[in-house]
Amino acid sequence: MSESPLQAIPGGSKRIEDGSPVFQLDRNPFLDNGLPDPLERRLDELERRGPAKLRAVRSAAPARPEPLRRAVPPRPRTTPALSEIELGEQRGLLDRLLPERARRALASIAHLVEGESPYDRFGFSPDVARRAMPWFHALYQYYFRVESHGHEHLPEQGRAVLAANHAGLLPFDGAMTIVDILLHSDPPRLARAIVDRWAGELPFVNVFYARVGQVIGTRENFADLLDDDQLVLVFPEGIDGIRKTVTHRYRLQNFRVGFVEQALRAGAPIVPMAIIGSDDQTPILYDLKPLAKALGLPVAPITPTFPWLGPLGLLPYPVRYKIVYGEPLAYHERFGAEGADDARLVQYLTRQVRRAVQQLVDRNRA
Amino acid sequence: MTRVLVTHADEPIGRRVVKRLFHDPRVDAIFAVGDGPTPRSFDRYLAGSAPAVSYARVDLAKHRAASDLFHSAAFRSAEIDTVVHVPRHGSAPEAPAPLVAGLSERTAETRLVVQHCLEAGSVCQLVALGSAFVYKLQPGNANRFTEDSQLDLDPDVSAEIRSWIDADMIVHGEVHNERLRVVLLRAPTVVAAGGYAYMNPALPVAKPSARALGFDPICAVISDKDVARAVQAAVFARRSGIYNVAGREAVPLSVLARWTGRRAPPVPHPLLGWAAAGARLFGFGAEAVPFRGPALRYGFTLDTRRAERELDFRPGDRIGLAREGDGSLRLETASTL
Repeated sequence: MSESPLQAIPGGSKRIEDGSPVFQLDRNPFLDNGLPDPLERRLDELERRGPAKLRAVRSAAPARPEPLRRAVPPRPRTTPALSEIELGEQRGLLDRLLPERARRALASIAHLVEGESPYDRFGFSPDVARRAMPWFHALYQYYFRVESHGHEHLPEQGRAVLAANHAGLLPFDGAMTIVDILLHSDPPRLARAIVDRWAGELPFVNVFYARVGQVIGTRENFADLLDDDQLVLVFPEGIDGIRKTVTHRYRLQNFRVGFVEQALRAGAPIVPMAIIGSDDQTPILYDLKPLAKALGLPVAPITPTFPWLGPLGLLPYPVRYKIVYGEPLAYHERFGAEGADDARLVQYLTRQVRRAVQQLVDRNRA
Repeated sequence: MTRVLVTHADEPIGRRVVKRLFHDPRVDAIFAVGDGPTPRSFDRYLAGSAPAVSYARVDLAKHRAASDLFHSAAFRSAEIDTVVHVPRHGSAPEAPAPLVAGLSERTAETRLVVQHCLEAGSVCQLVALGSAFVYKLQPGNANRFTEDSQLDLDPDVSAEIRSWIDADMIVHGEVHNERLRVVLLRAPTVVAAGGYAYMNPALPVAKPSARALGFDPICAVISDKDVARAVQAAVFARRSGIYNVAGREAVPLSVLARWTGRRAPPVPHPLLGWAAAGARLFGFGAEAVPFRGPALRYGFTLDTRRAERELDFRPGDRIGLAREGDGSLRLETASTL
């Protein structure tokens, strides 16, 4: 049972005559109500029958061509462990301010691109990332004062999908997560965040995103990253997450389903994670949707400081961040790559991931 | 033994293809044609004994010239069985570009080459080099294009890209021909030692170039030697199909411009549109204004797995900067095979 305060509401759920539960409107229906999920029961039953019958039931879906990609075992690790990294000369003031562990992690970035090429095929440049990272580390350490837990749930190697809640207008939640993972994984890992397609149209922003390892969110790019055994960070709420108003703080919006489908197809575990603080960094009082539509922007926010202070009003408040990684959900082991072709199953698993993230958020907000 | 006709053999990639095939013991004869005079580098091939190399100056964009070539006694006696069509890439067409039946020069010559390959009894294989810039580039396009990715059929596409697309579709139309094996190789930016870049519309050979301010798309690159290797692999794979070929590296456009010594200043993208409109208004040709297509803003790399699997082609060159004796840096390709 969840420990959410929502569950303490008297009469939070009641039963109608046929015995099925009904939820009040103020109650989050995605919280675990302790009752067996009928779809889960059905899936368990199908699984007991064996894969052949499972496929037979799913045969109603139109036949798809065989996917090009196959789940393959992770490749041998190429990034050295922190202790193996030789620290060079301290180049600048920011380098000197960094603790040794952070400097080692930054030095390891150079090993993240295979071969001698200065760029990977998504445009990631270890050199640019190395120069940008001290600034983000300063934000991490002194501005957002990030506290994080559950690093043992991050896979040391191999592919994985990190699914997190999203908020805060400007994506500092993604940046802080990437820095946190880099600092707390050994060997250091760089999470590749999936960004919305419109980011590719923004001058300068698109270049910066690409150089520090972010990737435009297309099906093909996602699959390629997982094929490369990368750690892929997704915000399944998408734009809906960053434009939610202050009254919807910490209430997850609908999740896109694509990441579950890709994780199943690639045989990658999904690590749910909660980011506490991002919902408070830029509270949106109102979203002028018609104006946003007219300007071609995803959001036209009114906050306590924007547009009154101009662009400065978009800067986040120095709220304290808390990042928590949950236990990996190994759906790929249970349902295999064929599960990705079952739209109903994918939707169900997406709801399960959403529920896991919401539970993590609720549990760690207190 | 294989007897090969190579078109545009006087241009950089064509010369590289001829050299590659010359050193292949499976090639019996090479019939090279081009617009210009015989390249100096051909002297040693022409003087050698085997394989037999001959060179003819033919403008393949002209119907009569192309017809005369394919019906000549020299062509028939050579018993050419494979045609390698390398479209114009290394030189700007003489202004104004000659048009055949309303088609661009590149499209016209591809149409004539394909037509004559179908008609010539001895020819059983056509290997054509195409450009990977035929794929549709748009905001949020996939980073890696497969051979089945969407082509750019936008009517407003630039004339340079349009000619590559038309040539691509002409060859594509014959891929399933039962008599003629047709291989279409789609290559990204081709670079050559010394700082040369070909087949990138954003870095044209004889035209001012500019970059879009605030954008620096990633560009897949391949060395001219690897293109020749891919052509060689296609000639001897005895298959039909469309294949992406690319090298291992991918670099941003700004780096590519720097490596190849181009001046491509960043300019706000709308300004390029206004410059084009102004050039039209004052009667300047399209050569007077920089390219302003989506390749300035959106990058791509290529999925080459099909070529690896079916043609057994793997890039053998690394591309990077090397320091010359005088201390200057220049683009260099180095074989890793």
